[in-house]
Amino acid sequence: MSLAPSLHRPSSRERQHYARLPNQPLSAIRLRTPNPSMSDEAMSNGSNNNNMGDGPDNLAEEDPRAALFREHYARTEARLMAVLGGGSKLDAPDALDGGTKPLSELPPAAHDARPPVTPKKAARTIDEDDYGDDDDGDEEDDAHPSPLLSKSAPNGIGAAALDTPSLRIPPLSNKLVIERTSTPSSELIKSSDDVRKKLQQDKTAAEDAAKRSFHTLFYTLENDRDAMLEQQKLDELDRQVETEMSGQPAIPTTNGAPTIPQQGTLSTTNLGASSLTLKHLIARIDAQRDMVHASDAQLRSLISEVRKNRSKWANEDRIGQEELYESMEKVLMELKAGEHAHPFLQRVNKREAPDYYNVIKHPMDIGTMMKKLKQLQYKSKKDFVDDLMLIWSNCLKYNADPAHYLRKKALYMRKETEKLVPLIPDIVVRDRAEVEAEERRMRNGDADADGAEDSDDEEPIMASRGRKAPSKGGKGTSTARKAPPAGLEGTPGPDGKPAVPSLNNAVSNLKNEFLRADSEMEGSINGFSTPPPGTLTPLPNGILRSGAPGSQADVSDVDGTGASVSGFTLDSEDADLDDLEYKTWKQVTKKDRALIAGERNRLFRGDHLNVEEPAILRSRAGMRRWLRHRKQALEEGVTDGSANAPDGKEGVQSTANETLAEGIEGDEERQVPDYYDPVSTIPDINERLQWVEDSEGHVIQQVEEYMRIVPKGYFTAPTSSLSKKVESNMRQMQETRKICAKIGIVKQMQLQSQMYTNQFQKYDPQPFVEADIDPIVVSEDGAIMSPYVCRAALQRSVGKIFYHAGFEEFQPSALEAITDIAGHFFQKLVRSFGVYQETPKMKCDTPITTPEGLTTNWVPRFSREEAMLHCLNANGVDLETLETYVKEDVERLGTKLAGMHDRMRSHYAELLRPALDSSAGADGAGAFNDGSEQFVGGDFAEDIGEDFFGFKELGLDKEFGLTLSVPLHLLQNRMHNAYTTQNPTNVSTTGVLMEEPTKFEPVTIQNVGNQIGLVQEWFLAKLHDNNNDDLVEDEDLPPKQRYPKPRLPPTGKISSPRKRPLREQQQMARKKRKLDEDKDDNASNENGASVNGNSFSKGIGKPIGKLKLDMPAQKENQNVPEPEKDDGSAVGMISPESILAA
Amino acid sequence: MADKDKMAKYRTEIQQMMFVSGETGEPAAETTTLIESIVQDQVQHMLRECSALATRRGSRAISTDDLFMLIRHDRAKISRLRHFLQWKDVRRSVKDSDDKGGDAGADVAAGDADLAVGVVAGSGPGPEPGKKAKRAKVDLVWEVQSFFNENPPAKDDVEDEEEEEMNFATLQRLKNADERTKNMTREEYVHWSDCRQASFTYRKGKRFKEWAGFGVITDSKPSDDIIDILGFLTFEIVQTLTEEALKVKDAEDLYKKTTGGKPENRLKRKRERGLFDPPEEAREPVQPSHVQEAYRRLQRGNNKARAMLNFSRHVHRAALKLI
Repeated sequence: MSLAPSLHRPSSRERQHYARLPNQPLSAIRLRTPNPSMSDEAMSNGSNNNNMGDGPDNLAEEDPRAALFREHYARTEARLMAVLGGGSKLDAPDALDGGTKPLSELPPAAHDARPPVTPKKAARTIDEDDYGDDDDGDEEDDAHPSPLLSKSAPNGIGAAALDTPSLRIPPLSNKLVIERTSTPSSELIKSSDDVRKKLQQDKTAAEDAAKRSFHTLFYTLENDRDAMLEQQKLDELDRQVETEMSGQPAIPTTNGAPTIPQQGTLSTTNLGASSLTLKHLIARIDAQRDMVHASDAQLRSLISEVRKNRSKWANEDRIGQEELYESMEKVLMELKAGEHAHPFLQRVNKREAPDYYNVIKHPMDIGTMMKKLKQLQYKSKKDFVDDLMLIWSNCLKYNADPAHYLRKKALYMRKETEKLVPLIPDIVVRDRAEVEAEERRMRNGDADADGAEDSDDEEPIMASRGRKAPSKGGKGTSTARKAPPAGLEGTPGPDGKPAVPSLNNAVSNLKNEFLRADSEMEGSINGFSTPPPGTLTPLPNGILRSGAPGSQADVSDVDGTGASVSGFTLDSEDADLDDLEYKTWKQVTKKDRALIAGERNRLFRGDHLNVEEPAILRSRAGMRRWLRHRKQALEEGVTDGSANAPDGKEGVQSTANETLAEGIEGDEERQVPDYYDPVSTIPDINERLQWVEDSEGHVIQQVEEYMRIVPKGYFTAPTSSLSKKVESNMRQMQETRKICAKIGIVKQMQLQSQMYTNQFQKYDPQPFVEADIDPIVVSEDGAIMSPYVCRAALQRSVGKIFYHAGFEEFQPSALEAITDIAGHFFQKLVRSFGVYQETPKMKCDTPITTPEGLTTNWVPRFSREEAMLHCLNANGVDLETLETYVKEDVERLGTKLAGMHDRMRSHYAELLRPALDSSAGADGAGAFNDGSEQFVGGDFAEDIGEDFFGFKELGLDKEFGLTLSVPLHLLQNRMHNAYTTQNPTNVSTTGVLMEEPTKFEPVTIQNVGNQIGLVQEWFLAKLHDNNNDDLVEDEDLPPKQRYPKPRLPPTGKISSPRKRPLREQQQMARKKRKLDEDKDDNASNENGASVNGNSFSKGIGKPIGKLKLDMPAQKENQNVPEPEKDDGSAVGMISPESILAA
Repeated sequence: MADKDKMAKYRTEIQQMMFVSGETGEPAAETTTLIESIVQDQVQHMLRECSALATRRGSRAISTDDLFMLIRHDRAKISRLRHFLQWKDVRRSVKDSDDKGGDAGADVAAGDADLAVGVVAGSGPGPEPGKKAKRAKVDLVWEVQSFFNENPPAKDDVEDEEEEEMNFATLQRLKNADERTKNMTREEYVHWSDCRQASFTYRKGKRFKEWAGFGVITDSKPSDDIIDILGFLTFEIVQTLTEEALKVKDAEDLYKKTTGGKPENRLKRKRERGLFDPPEEAREPVQPSHVQEAYRRLQRGNNKARAMLNFSRHVHRAALKLI
């Protein structure tokens, strides 16, 4: 059955209410008499509709939304009225109901009190109460006190009364409300939905209750096997039904009804339960119906194609089937899954009970019912309920022995049935053709039957819903074994209403039969006819109450039978009956337990593990569920042990925000405690690592509590006095080495006649800094286990020790080797320390107290110090050695290094001093005489960082903003000259002893004739090659173009393969050669250097000015006799780099 | 008997050395032979090690540095050796400067660096300051100056500390000698000082080279320095051995005294108790067993060599230790 009307329904309903307001002066009085109220409801509906039909004027005070709805409605109605003439009959069979229904169920006082205050609401309230009184009262009775229900149930009376009318959904159960007009029938659907919902809630409440006990109780697994077997049987049954069904085709639904083009509202079409989703579309289409050029049938088929979620029962041509069968199937499933359904699942086997079919003429079982259901053999609810009751009564009839165990089951099942039956909407399935035919008929008759039949006006709304199956209900009842009373039968055909009363009667008749069959059930039977408040309440309490009497009644007689026949042990059943909680638990969890047990069972084949079977794996959903349950349990534990009401809500909330993907997983919740799913358990996580959210949903960062940054200096040498000393020693060494480098440069300058750019790399060692590791975050206390880093740190320490031991640089391989050895040694050291620490304790006479406050006679063999000393000794280290090392190799080394540094400094100073020659004068002013303005300003290079003139010391550099270092080349000049002057041997030999011979005249084209004839040709050729320029002497060539000088062996003979000369001769020759070379070098150096100064100033192009090179006298002497040295050849000696460098 | 001849090459020297080291009695021939063989072994070992070091250095000839390297762990010995070498240098320069008293200078020099220093330290007048300034500094390769590639000329007042150290080491020796000679008569002291000149090498260079196995162990021609150092070291060895052996003997005597011992010991004890008993004649010389025990003790290594073998199953095979 579709819910499509229900979309429209609230509005129409509310419209009714508003419309009815003026017409209902008596509602307050009718409050206490439900029956009249029913008729009144009907009447009011009718009148309401009439009013509506008359005109929508009297709606002035309504809110705009309602007005809109009403407008739509009015339009629709008008159109429908114009088109359709049919109306439905309304009868009032309520008298019967009213008779059977107890007056005991009074609406709460609140409702009584309300009407006088606000009449408008009162009317509505009364309406609700009317329905509630009739059918739902039993539930609502409990609903009021129970906050759970009133909160969760959308249809609670209180809520309904307070809500805006449009939102309110009247709680009606189809048990008593009789389908009569379309509006009530819609309500009926609704109410049946509500009942279903309510039942569902009850069920969930029961499940919740059971679930709560999951945390507090541990149930043994002994029943699982039974549950599993039952479940298997159920499945088997299903399969059997399925196969049988597939054998025979489903009964073809009559599809012969011609589609008559009608212009009805779409909303009235039966679009199935899910047309809710198309609500707006349909409303729109309805509003603009005249603009849509399609017949209703076309639209209908269109929409029915479009909409989704149609159940398997949906059938366009079988009106009402979908809803009816849905609910019937649900009920059947529910019953089937019940704990006691087991014996009723299949047809009684003749072998088991040979005389069964003698006693029972109409056998029935759940399996058969399933089959019938699938074959669409049920036309109405009554058929179905009759069949159900038949099963139980058959059982009771056959097993007449009051002590028989099956009786109990049957009774239980019957009770269950009674609870579930209200779920089923009272619908009679009709063929569409039939309905439409009827509609047509009614439309025709509508014109005159207007006022007489109230409900006819509403008929068009529900016209296509086809609720009113003419005389189907009657047929349905007739199929039942016990014919309904004649009063019911007599209800006119077109009305589906008789079904329910008849059902009621049927039930009560059944009851009577039961009563006859076994008198012990009077409680429940009475409960039905005059229901005690508890019996029919499907709340968790209801289970309790309904269960209790039965068990009490049964326990006495069941006890004796003892024997278990079909796998149900009597004991367990007994236990069930005794322990309500246990029973609930069993019920709730039965299916899942069975499934789980089945799963596990599959893992075994015989007594062995079945290897082929896939293992039971943990699922994400399972784990999440486990977590949630645990959290719930924890919360419960926190709030209180026995808290019931708030739990469910809290649990839901907490789960809601915790499991986002819960639903996505598609794994439905299992109603079993966690210990049934051990694979999904999650071991405890350290609290620090848990994902915890605060009240606003932010993750609480627990990082601070356990994450820590590795403290600085974890991998650097700790500062101790020893390490400080070591480092100061190393610094001292670096400083000394700097001086060393300068000394080396100076010495080199002394020897070298010229210098090149970057010839002397400034030695500037960087101070040693132990780099620490980058900030790293760890989550654990304790040492950082990082072998690589540790090794690197050790290596660095080793390197420092190397340096400290005097090695400025060292081979990496040596470093590696020592690092490994040292690491190895430390391992041994620590290991032996461990050995000494872990020596077994000794017994001593005087007890000692441990840090924990315990006294013990067992003392460690070694104290810490002893252990340390032992371990050092075992590794060949003694304290003396260590002390000596510190004293000698560190501290005294420091003083030695300091002394060495001083010596170096003084040595260096002495080396530099000669550069400041005597001519500079006492104040050093003479040093400027060599034309070096650079001394005054500009172009200073701080190459060796020497404060040559001590200007820095005087603070002049700061005063004038100058860099006051000496240009290197100047320093070099002076150094070299001073050095040569200081070594007179070289100078004197070249300068004084031998005069350089006059140069040969260069050969030119003019004077080539002066040469001897033999070489004239050769010279000419050379001149020709040289473009007739002057020939240059080989000696005057730039150094690189010179021909290598032929060197004569000491013997003076030019001999290629020399005979083996005497050793002495060789040595002599070598000595001599060296001497010669030295001489040459010195000579050229001197000259080159002396010229350098001049040429430099020339090369730079600076004005020489009055400052002349103030050469030492000796040099002047040297230079004077050799004027030719100043020509190009000498210039050629200067490498261009030196000029540029200057 | 060639063997015996060979072995007995240094009998008198060893006896003299032992006398200087505190052995007042006349050691038996076995004792001296034993000591000699020990010393020979040590010297040969040193030579082997030195040549190995030299080879590693890349040279064939062993140098003094190699010898220093061998005894580097014995700071006191190093100090004494440096001291010895310094004064040897002084002696040489003295000899060079005034050629007159070659003999006398040599005589003083032979083993008497100690005495000379003793004179310097004690009474002052000995060598004049000029000499002292000329004293060559014996540098160790691992000393500070080797850290740097420039070697500045030494200043006079720098090495006081080291000198002090060296002096301290020799002064210890001198103090012992002083103790021993305190009660000596003039003749005895002359004898004692004669004995102090005993050397394996002085004026018996050829014999020593042959004895030590030069040319066999190392084929390089040893320099005079090396021979002198070896002479010094051999003397040290004998001295150390004798002192250790005497300690062993004393301990044995003490033990015998306390436990009663044998009759002749008692007799000796009685004699020793006498106030006027001349100590030296009465005393028994050191026996070979004492020397052996002393040698054993001196060879006993510490755990250092074994440290890296801890927690492993390797057996430590101790190398010969230099005494």
